[in-house]
Amino acid sequence: MRLDLFNTTAFRLSVGYTLLLTLAVGLTLGSAYLLTESLITDEVDLIIDTELQSLEEKFARSGLPGVTDEINLRIDSWGRIGAVYMLADSSFERIAGNVTHWPFDGMPAEARPEFEIATIEPGRRAVHSVRAAVRTLPGGDLLLVGTDISQGQRFAEKFRFATLCGIGLSTLAAALAGFWFSYKLARRVGEVTSTCQRIMAGESGRRLPVAGTKDEFDALAASVNRVLDRLEEQAGTLRATFDSTAHDLRAPLHRLRTRMDALLLRSPPLEPAVYESIESALREVDHLQRTLSTLLQIALAESGAPLAAPAAVDVGELAAELVELFEPVAAAQGLTLECSPEPQANVQGNRQLLAQLLTNLIENGLKYVPSGGRIEVAVRRLADRVRLTVSDNGPGIAAENRARALQPFVRFGAGSKSEGGGLGLSLVAAIARLHRGRLELENNAPGLRVVVDLPA
Amino acid sequence: MRVLLIEDDIEAARLLVKGLTESGYRVDHAADGRDGLARACEGQHDLIVTDRMLPHLDGLTLIEQLREKGVGTPVLVLSALGSVDDRIRGLKAGGDDYLTKPFAFAELLARIEALLRRRMRAPHVTRLKVEDLEFDLLARRVTRAGRELELTARELKLLEFLMRRAGQVVTRTMLLEGVWDLHFDPQSNLIDVHISRLRQAIDRGSDHPLIHTVRGSGYVLRRDS
Repeated sequence: MRLDLFNTTAFRLSVGYTLLLTLAVGLTLGSAYLLTESLITDEVDLIIDTELQSLEEKFARSGLPGVTDEINLRIDSWGRIGAVYMLADSSFERIAGNVTHWPFDGMPAEARPEFEIATIEPGRRAVHSVRAAVRTLPGGDLLLVGTDISQGQRFAEKFRFATLCGIGLSTLAAALAGFWFSYKLARRVGEVTSTCQRIMAGESGRRLPVAGTKDEFDALAASVNRVLDRLEEQAGTLRATFDSTAHDLRAPLHRLRTRMDALLLRSPPLEPAVYESIESALREVDHLQRTLSTLLQIALAESGAPLAAPAAVDVGELAAELVELFEPVAAAQGLTLECSPEPQANVQGNRQLLAQLLTNLIENGLKYVPSGGRIEVAVRRLADRVRLTVSDNGPGIAAENRARALQPFVRFGAGSKSEGGGLGLSLVAAIARLHRGRLELENNAPGLRVVVDLPA
Repeated sequence: MRVLLIEDDIEAARLLVKGLTESGYRVDHAADGRDGLARACEGQHDLIVTDRMLPHLDGLTLIEQLREKGVGTPVLVLSALGSVDDRIRGLKAGGDDYLTKPFAFAELLARIEALLRRRMRAPHVTRLKVEDLEFDLLARRVTRAGRELELTARELKLLEFLMRRAGQVVTRTMLLEGVWDLHFDPQSNLIDVHISRLRQAIDRGSDHPLIHTVRGSGYVLRRDS
C-alpha cells in the first residue's frame, strides 16, 4: 500500500499543532516586543516631560532670557545624549536651541510628535528620528524638547526582526518535527494496515512487526498478534473438525461404493437385472456423494475459514473457457450460450472454486431456461472489482423468492427433479462470500440475472 | 506390476486388494503409515496407493519422508477430505495424483494405469501417431489417412490428451482435470458431448473408428474396439 502521508490523522494533527505553536510563539514574542517598545517610549516621554517641566519652572522664575540661557547651557555642557531643544517665537522663528528650523508645519496635532533631523557627524551625514513635546509658554513663545530615538528604533527593529525570525524558525522546526512524526506514525500504521491486508488475502501465518521499542505501537501489535494467533488456532481447530467430519461421512460411503463396485466386477457376472439395479444404486451413491461434497464445501465457506492459498485468477478467461466447455451441451438443448469477457479481469481467489461458481450458474441456466432461450456470461472490470454477470431469458425467480433462492435445498419451478438441484445457488453465494464478494439476483426482464461482484 | 496399498480401513482395503489382484496387479497391503513407509522404502513397488489419513504416520508426511529418502515411486493419494486445498496440499507434498473417496473402482484402475504408463512415456515427442491418425504437435496439425482435419484449439488439446494415452482407459474426470483443469464434477454430460464432437471429426467415414467408449469407465483411443 502506498503511503498517502497528507491524508493521515497524524499529519493533520501535526499541522494543527504547528499552527497552534506559531500562534503561541507569535503571541509571546509579539507581546514582549510591544511591551519593550512601550517601555522605551515611556522612558523617553518621562525624560521629555521632566525637562519641559524644569524649563517651564525656569521660565516662571527668570523669564525668556533664563530659559534661553538654560537651553544653551544644557546643549553645551551637561546635555544628555540626543537631547533636542528649541525655543521659538509665536511665528515659529528660532530664538534658541540646537534645531535650526521649526520641524513641524505649524503646531503639531499630536501630543508626542516625531520628526527627523539631519546632522553632520564626523565623516557622514546622518538622519536622526526625534520624539518631542511642545509647550506654549505664557507669552506665546514655543518650547520644544525632544530626544533622539534613533537608537531605540534600531533596537526595536532588531527586536522585531528577532521576533519574526523566532516565530519563523519555531514554525519551521515544528513543521519539520510534525512531518517526521507523522511520517513515522503513518509508516507504522501503514505496516499494520498492509499486514492486515496480507492476512486477509490468505497469508494467515503473517504477524504485525514488533519494533522492540516497547511503545504503545508494540503493545498494540502484540495484542493484535495474540488475536491473530487465537484466530489461526481456531481456524486450525475448525479445519481439523471439518476434516474429521468429512472423513467420517465419506469413509462409510466409500466402503459402500467399493463393495458395490466389487459386486459388479464379480465373476461369474451377476444376472443382468441385478447388475442394473446395483448400477442404479451406484448412481444414487454418487448423487449422495456430490450433495455431501457440496454441503461440506458450503459449510467450509460459511465457517469463516479464510480462502486457502489464493492466487490471481483471470475471471474473464475462466468464463470464456467454461462457456466453451458448456456450449455444445447448450447447443444440444437448443440454447444459445455466449460469453463477453473483458481482458485481465483478475481477482485474488481460488480458480477451482470460481470455476465451480461459474459452472453452477451456467448449469442453473441450462436446467431452467427452455429451448430457444439464451444464457449470457459477461465479465467486466470495474474500479476496484470484477463484475461477473450471468443472465438468461428463462422463467427467472419472482422478487419475493430471490432471497430464499440462495438458501440450501430451495428449488423453484420445473426441473426440480433434476439431480443436485437446490444447492447450486447456495454454493455460488458461499463461494462469492468466501472471496469477499457480493451476490445479487436481479430481474433480467424476462429471466434471471445473477450479478457477482468480486474484489479485484 | 507391483502395487503397495497403504490403507487403514481394513474393509475397504480388502475389497481394493481383491479388485486390483483381479485386474492383474500384485498387491501388498500396509495398514498404517509407519509400516507403509517401511515397505515403500524397499523400492520393490511400481506404484504406491496411500490413504491421506493414517494411524502413526499421516499420508502426506509419509510421501514427504519417502521423497526425502530419494524414493521416486509414483504415489496416488486417496483422500476422504476432498476440499479444494486438500488436493493442493496432497500434490505439494509430492503425490502424483489425488482421488477423493468415494471413487469408482474403474476410476482408480484408470489412474493407476495412467501413472504406471507415465513413467514409460517419452516426454519430448513432436509427433504422435496412432494407426493412420497423425498429430504434428509443433504445427498443431492433425491428419487422418493423410487428409487434414479441422479441429478447434480445445479439440486439439483433447485429442492430444487421448493420443498421448493411446490404448489406456481415460475417465471423464481425468479429461476434465487434464484438458480443462477442473477438479470437480459438473452435473452435465459435458465430456460425452465433447468426445462425440471429436469422434465426428476423427472417425467419420472411417472403417475402423479409433475413439471407443468403455462402459462404466470412460474412453480409449486405439485401433480395435
